[in-house]
Amino acid sequence: MPKVSASRRAQERLAFGTIRVLSLLTIAILALIVGFILYKGLRFSNETRSTVLPYAERSPSGLALVVNPGIDLESIDFPTAYGIFTDEYINWAKISADDTDLVPVAVDPGTPEGKAAERFLFGSGTQSSEEPAAYGGAVKKAADARAALAAVESTAGAVAIVPAGAVTPGDAKKVRVVPVRRLCLAVNEDVMAIVDNRSIEDLGDGDFARLARGEIANWKELGGPDLPVRFAAPPAGSELEAAVKAAGFAAGSSAAPGSPAAPAAAQAPGEGGYAAAIASTRGAAGFAFAADAQAASLQTLTRKGVVRGWNLTLRYLVEEPRLSGRVGGISTIILNTFFMLALTLLLAAPIGVAAAVYLIEYAKQGPLVRILRLGTETLAGIPSIIFGLFGFLFFVNILHFGFGLMSGCLTLTLMILPTIVRTSEEALKSVSGSLREGSLALGATKLQTIVRVVIPAAAPGILTGLILGVGRAVGETAALLFTMGSDYKLAVGLFSSARALSTHVYLLFAEGISFDRAFSTATVLIAIVLIFNFAARRLIGRMGEN
Amino acid sequence: MATSEATATPAPGVKIEVRDLDLWYGQTQALKRVSMDVSANSITALIGPSGCGKSTFLRVLDRMNDLIDGIRIEGRVLYEGRDITGPASDVIELRKKIGMVFQKPNPFPMSVYDNVAYGPRVHGFRARTPAERRKLDEMVERSLVNAALFDEVKDRLRKSAMGLSGGQQQRLCIARVLAVEPDVLLMDEPTSALDPISTSKIEALLEELKRRYTIVIVTHNMQQAGRVSDSTGFFLHGELVEFAPTKEIFFNPKDKRTENYISGRFG
Repeated sequence: MPKVSASRRAQERLAFGTIRVLSLLTIAILALIVGFILYKGLRFSNETRSTVLPYAERSPSGLALVVNPGIDLESIDFPTAYGIFTDEYINWAKISADDTDLVPVAVDPGTPEGKAAERFLFGSGTQSSEEPAAYGGAVKKAADARAALAAVESTAGAVAIVPAGAVTPGDAKKVRVVPVRRLCLAVNEDVMAIVDNRSIEDLGDGDFARLARGEIANWKELGGPDLPVRFAAPPAGSELEAAVKAAGFAAGSSAAPGSPAAPAAAQAPGEGGYAAAIASTRGAAGFAFAADAQAASLQTLTRKGVVRGWNLTLRYLVEEPRLSGRVGGISTIILNTFFMLALTLLLAAPIGVAAAVYLIEYAKQGPLVRILRLGTETLAGIPSIIFGLFGFLFFVNILHFGFGLMSGCLTLTLMILPTIVRTSEEALKSVSGSLREGSLALGATKLQTIVRVVIPAAAPGILTGLILGVGRAVGETAALLFTMGSDYKLAVGLFSSARALSTHVYLLFAEGISFDRAFSTATVLIAIVLIFNFAARRLIGRMGEN
Repeated sequence: MATSEATATPAPGVKIEVRDLDLWYGQTQALKRVSMDVSANSITALIGPSGCGKSTFLRVLDRMNDLIDGIRIEGRVLYEGRDITGPASDVIELRKKIGMVFQKPNPFPMSVYDNVAYGPRVHGFRARTPAERRKLDEMVERSLVNAALFDEVKDRLRKSAMGLSGGQQQRLCIARVLAVEPDVLLMDEPTSALDPISTSKIEALLEELKRRYTIVIVTHNMQQAGRVSDSTGFFLHGELVEFAPTKEIFFNPKDKRTENYISGRFG
């Protein structure tokens, strides 16, 4: 009947469509996961918030910030430089990813060049500042610019501010001149006020440009209070004006059409007067150097930007980790992971295969074997943290192995044994009984039959079990944390503490060290698992051909 | 119970002597008072319907039944005058002397060469020196030649045996048994899984092998038994109903049941 057949066709189409949608969904989800991890692992993109604009000056105010060439730094923002000389930092790690102690050197403020450096850091218009800022106690003093340069050259991690002219071309190789970002947008304090539970947002580059061009008439447009924008042009002919121009902002916005008149005081000569004018005019804004803004107690607008770059670099793979993995790479951790896998396999493979051979070939299939089998199946399902607890109590404490490779690998062995035993059992079971009979009928003993015929025939299956086990071991974290320890140095013995990649990922994340580094480590981990699986497939394929 | 000491002088020309053999699988009796003399250098065919005990009987001869739990044997099985059922007899030595070819070809998943060399190797042949390696090569070649397989596989000795055809695999299994230099060949329906051409090749081979070996063959195929065997035993429900020269069984059976089976009334 055509009616029946039509409804059956519809049914068929519906079923087919559903299956197709579901399968495509699965593929899409998989692609999303893998793509996301790979993207995050390979590229980083971080939102940054800073009070200074991304315009770096090589010789701000005729000065130069010089560091020891061992420090890898492209540029520095003013608040960081300020922090260096006021004891906020004691190590370069947070600034340049170099694990070196920070040695700030200041030229004696009694000398003219020392005075200039002090002004650069702590501002020129100190009149409105309540307590004069000063060098921190850890800052070393140098008699003059030459002495400071010599100190920077000879001391690892040293940094100083000297006149740009004092850095001769000969010094260029011995010290590194680091450009400083110090241009910021200062505003009158009313602009930052919270009105109706709203305050001015962090601004993007476009907002700064529009502000500078006078395209924003009211702070309301940027989420701030209902105040007209009064944009002050920097004093003509000043260093500030030059910097603003060089930074690519159209200065002299007061002339821009549609913008309200700039505050009269802003035209007053002298940078101190300029800052004071911004401070005293409601809704005023203007470019300023961070030191001056700070000295005049001006508020600055926060710029939000995005920093992008390569996350997983070759350097990351070959360098040793330092400072809890905050700095450096993961080379020793990769090696430790391989040591761990090798030792675990060395322990687990013979035991597991032997157990499977016993269960299949020798043991009388009775209640005891059934209980054993139930036991292995249960063990395979036990959460790894419980293995970790057991390993901690038994291997680390009772057997006094301590945190180290041995305790960790023994724990992992216990954890992956059930998997290996179960898959090896299945593999042995699948070997045809006729092969065993054929071998025995030739006069081979049972042991010869097992070693020469049964195990080779079951090898692909056994290998699959080993790979599954390794896969579980390489991804294991909970069982290792309390047994193998977390020392990221290269393991030097069976009992030395070692950190595996998975533990590293966990610790980077849990201790809030670096999300990006956690992802790039995870990418390496995934790559290792993939390589293992691929190699195993090739190996199994080659065995199958034989 | 007979032991290896209680040997009777073997009748001349008798390789295997079976006397009053009873066999039980648990409570089921699979063989009932079977007696048979297998003559040397002849082909003895065992026929009968499925489940009649002929394969079980064959497996008694090289003690493959040891692998099955709950089996009980009474009676005497003498190979060259020695009892082979007792615990005192060496099953490894026995299986060296009495080889077995199975119903389905069961080559090991290794190369053709390794398959044939397997027997010598498990019996302790070590090919360490070049001279020993040459000797093993010769053994393998001779076995393959005797199994009428050498010409077909001489170019692929080192390739996997799993790539051979079913008939070649079965001849490889025969070559594998021959390499152990046995005395008796037991064959459990060796051609039932093969096509007619392969079957005729193996039948021709049996004629050749008869000169050097004593062959006991279980077959479902009565034409085959008629074609290749010298004497035939007819099994029914665990009993050896009739055992006589093949011509007599086929043309002049003494027992009515044999006649019915031969003429195709059942089976």
